[in-house]
Amino acid sequence: MIWPQSSVFRRLFDLLGVHRAWLWAGAALAVSATLSGIALMAVSGWFITAMALAGASAMAINYFTPAAVIRGLAIVRSGARYGDRLITHEATLRTLASLRAWLFRRLIPLAPDQISMWRTGELMARLRSDVDALEHFYLSVLVPTAVAVAATILVSSLMAATLPTALPVLVAIAVLAGLILPLWAKRAAAEDATAAVATSSRLRGLMLDLLRGYGELLACGAASGQAERIKLLDGRLAVHRRHVERIQALGSAISGMLAQLAVIFVLSIGLVAVRSGALSSPLLTMLVLLSVTLFESLATLPEALAHWHATQASAERVFQIVDSEPKVREPAEPAVVASMPDIRFEKVRMRYANETFWALDGVDLEVRAGSRVAVVGASGAGKSSLINVLQKLYLPQSGRVILGGKPLDQLRGDDVRRKIAVIAQQTTLFDRSLLENFLLAAPEASDAQIHRAVRVAQLDDFVAALPLGYDTVLGDGGSAVSGGEARRIAIARALLQDAPVLLLDEPTEGLDARTADSLYASLNEAAKSRTLLLITHRLGGLARLVDEVVVMGFGRIIERLPVADYLAREAAQF
Amino acid sequence: MPPVRLDVRFMQAAEWLHAEARRIRKPLLLSAGLTALQALLLVVQAWVLAEILSVSLWDHAPWSSLWRQWLSLFLLASVRAMLQMRARGIAFDASQDVGARLRMHLLSRVQALGVLGLRSQASGALITGLVDGVDTVLPYFARYLPGAITAVLVPTIVIACTLPADWISGVVLILSAPMIPLFMVLVGNAAERASHERFDQLRRLGRSFVDVLGGLTTLRQLGAAWRVADQLESEGEDYRRLSMQVLRIAFLSSLVLEFFATVSIAVVAVLIGFRLLWGEIHFQEGMFVLLLAPELYLPLRALGGLRHARMEAVAAIQGLQTVDGVFATPATAGTETVQCVHSGAELPEIEFRGVRFAHAGRPLLLDGIDLQIGRGLIALVGESGSGKSTLLDMLLGFATPMTGKILVNGVDFQTLDMFQWRARVAWVPQQPHVFDLSLRENLLLADPGAGSDRLDRALADSGLDAVASRLPSGMDTRLGENGLGLSGGELQRLALARALLRESADLWLFDEPTAHLDAESARSIGRLIRAAAASRTVLMVAHRLDAVMTADRVVVLHGGKVVESGAPRALLKSGGRFAVLAGTEMMG
Repeated sequence: MIWPQSSVFRRLFDLLGVHRAWLWAGAALAVSATLSGIALMAVSGWFITAMALAGASAMAINYFTPAAVIRGLAIVRSGARYGDRLITHEATLRTLASLRAWLFRRLIPLAPDQISMWRTGELMARLRSDVDALEHFYLSVLVPTAVAVAATILVSSLMAATLPTALPVLVAIAVLAGLILPLWAKRAAAEDATAAVATSSRLRGLMLDLLRGYGELLACGAASGQAERIKLLDGRLAVHRRHVERIQALGSAISGMLAQLAVIFVLSIGLVAVRSGALSSPLLTMLVLLSVTLFESLATLPEALAHWHATQASAERVFQIVDSEPKVREPAEPAVVASMPDIRFEKVRMRYANETFWALDGVDLEVRAGSRVAVVGASGAGKSSLINVLQKLYLPQSGRVILGGKPLDQLRGDDVRRKIAVIAQQTTLFDRSLLENFLLAAPEASDAQIHRAVRVAQLDDFVAALPLGYDTVLGDGGSAVSGGEARRIAIARALLQDAPVLLLDEPTEGLDARTADSLYASLNEAAKSRTLLLITHRLGGLARLVDEVVVMGFGRIIERLPVADYLAREAAQF
Repeated sequence: MPPVRLDVRFMQAAEWLHAEARRIRKPLLLSAGLTALQALLLVVQAWVLAEILSVSLWDHAPWSSLWRQWLSLFLLASVRAMLQMRARGIAFDASQDVGARLRMHLLSRVQALGVLGLRSQASGALITGLVDGVDTVLPYFARYLPGAITAVLVPTIVIACTLPADWISGVVLILSAPMIPLFMVLVGNAAERASHERFDQLRRLGRSFVDVLGGLTTLRQLGAAWRVADQLESEGEDYRRLSMQVLRIAFLSSLVLEFFATVSIAVVAVLIGFRLLWGEIHFQEGMFVLLLAPELYLPLRALGGLRHARMEAVAAIQGLQTVDGVFATPATAGTETVQCVHSGAELPEIEFRGVRFAHAGRPLLLDGIDLQIGRGLIALVGESGSGKSTLLDMLLGFATPMTGKILVNGVDFQTLDMFQWRARVAWVPQQPHVFDLSLRENLLLADPGAGSDRLDRALADSGLDAVASRLPSGMDTRLGENGLGLSGGELQRLALARALLRESADLWLFDEPTAHLDAESARSIGRLIRAAAASRTVLMVAHRLDAVMTADRVVVLHGGKVVESGAPRALLKSGGRFAVLAGTEMMG
């Protein structure tokens, strides 16, 4: 628990391994910068003592070599530091580019089934900060550790060669100050640190609620109560953080004191050795300065350790997600999807989790290529689940779906989805320009194709009124456009996919009746040569768009009838 | 033009940080004082260490004669550690005070923005600012500022104490030390601008990563997922290439610092060595200077690592500034509320008189509304964007007429005690919010005192009971952000259940209460509303014809005015605006 879990550590290491050469080069430069700094101080100490001795005894001394070494080390150190910063950043940025793409590629086959639980903003932000932590694993964990270890080895071996009696205590103090104290501090602060994390997330929830639900809180007379709760919790969070900070400050103060004690210790042992003739005076000065600089390079260890703990938690979360096996398997030798496929559901049963209700409970449904069918039914009747199964995003527990004569499990999901353009309930717009949103669906679309899709989706007036036109950025999740506009942008985007099957889930949501009518009319034109599956509870204009209606209820197909019959019956009820 | 605006925002953000720093001047000064004291003790410590070495090596003094020096080394070590701890703690506490003040300030701005202000899109910045921004700002006060103070104080003290011991080394240090800030300013200014740009770019990269992660399912459906993965990689590579071009220059400032620091130490060491050889200075002084010299550069080096804290803080403040007037001092509000009038006990008769309204910076939305509302079910219809929801906002006190007035039983709405007035209103908003609480607590918000029998009834009437039985812990399931797992229709049922719990409310404001429900559920909810209207005033915004037809009266909004009002069937026959609207919605 306390010590790095080797498996996570090794996997992280492997993950960064692509850029191995850069990583090693950066670490080597960082180590040599620190070591030459330590050597500079050590040689300087030796030099001035030797010079003082020579001066006092009027002995001849070769001062050219040490003076040149000192100047040389100064230059090496400056150069190595520059190279160190440059190369370690290069390595980090390389990691950043490849790590995000790696994670994204691993997540693709898991969406939406196995990652739906973290689709919300908060969890997404956490995933992002987890990836951030992994990206900084090298710079804030590996490099400082390598530097500290190298410095300890250098100083210990010099100490072993000159003053072996002081070695055990020096190493013990180094381990105590660099490793044991930070670990103690972490453990001592653990309770408050955990409480701070919990309080902070609770506070976050309360504030989001206040901001997004302010109207409802006011209407319920609960707004000032919520603000009070936030103030209270904020105070409590400050107390926890203060405790954590106190312990950390104490830990680093003790570490600093230990470092100074180590210097005192080396000095006293060294003086005894000098007196007995076992050690020369210049070497003693050198050892004193060595111990001073050693602890300076150990000072970054507590922070590296804290980073490691954070990284470990992040890595475990990320690995846990990417390790899940995609439930929807792809065939080893995929069959080819027919160009105008018929769709057939055979006794399909599907539910989203064990022990929940069946979203599809034995669905038998055939939609011939080129036919136009509306699916209606109460909310929760399983309409949207039809899409999920048909697009091979979810796997039915039993039964099968046959597309163009081939069962779905013989087809590749990407090929299936290329044939079926969808506007789902949660279709997302991206925080990019309108044009880029369109190009996501069809990277090679011509201007003419885009204009046509925009016209069909009843968007031409909207686009014409935009000051930036197609370059308008749609904002986070499409927040810069209204709900009805977002719906129509999604429709235009789906049309651009130019798929033989068009599957529209409530395309008119958020539109006023008149716009909805003209949308139906233009869709009617656009869908002429395609199979159209329309999920809706808007009955107006339905007869113009579809020929048949399928009524669903509780995950089953209840009936299938010509659209005229269905509408007549509904009108009679009303 | 845009870069200029960016710079102004940057300056404002930096200014705000300075102003806050001035407010915590006292603790910062105290912390600086302790740091200075600590630095003085460091000098003494170096002197004592040099003395021990010198006296032992040269004068061969016995151990016992040095006990005072050994003792003071121990004492100095402990006192310095304590001072450092205290200085750090004081700065941390001061930063926490800034954080608390900033958060409370933002909270009050939220309340000043009001419901309409929060609905506008600038609230996104406020949310991130309030939730995450404050924590990002604090390291600036807790670490960067003390670090900057230390970087000035410690070198000054070190140089001042070196001069009397060995003026030649002192001069070398004086020559090198000011060169460092000078060069860092020369090289660093360009570097800082560049790194700000890089930082912004990196944030954009991060946002776009989250954006595509959130839309992963859509990307798969569009067949674009693998393409976007490649894009992510090439964007990252582009960013790396650009950054490295900049960093090659930017890191020159650290090269300069490193160079001056190490070379001047080397020069000091070599000069001391030769003067020792020639017997021009004592060993103790030489050793003392050599021990102190590196201490001069340590805080400068540390400051380089803290620059990030400053950049993050400035960026967070800049983000907040996108919310209008977020750093303005709140106007002394509330003075004009002369007296709060109780709205009375009888059923509210509401009258709009010549009410005009426009959202900030938008064209006129309501252009003289005259309308009387009393007992019964009134359906409000009109095209999207005709101001129906705004009428409800006004009756909730979220929006205030620009001209004209609203009367409740003859009393001016403006003078009503809002807390008491809202207590008699039940509201189903168009987009209900699900609070980060259990389902039960979400419902109890409407009436904290509701017993389980009333809860059960509200559940059954709204059709939420099926949802509750499906949730893993039933009513006690925590719903979490964005109502995890609730569909649009279920959200609406939740809002309905909340409204139904407010039994004593005699004014019901329903904004498309059945928009996301299937026909069957919509009909049963409609019947419920119909029955409730017998003893209440119910104002319902509706798009669906079947819902509208059950109303006692239909009010049609068009062009900011009430263009028609009357019984639904009569209006349908008269062939006016309502008939047009209804025609587009008629079935078949």
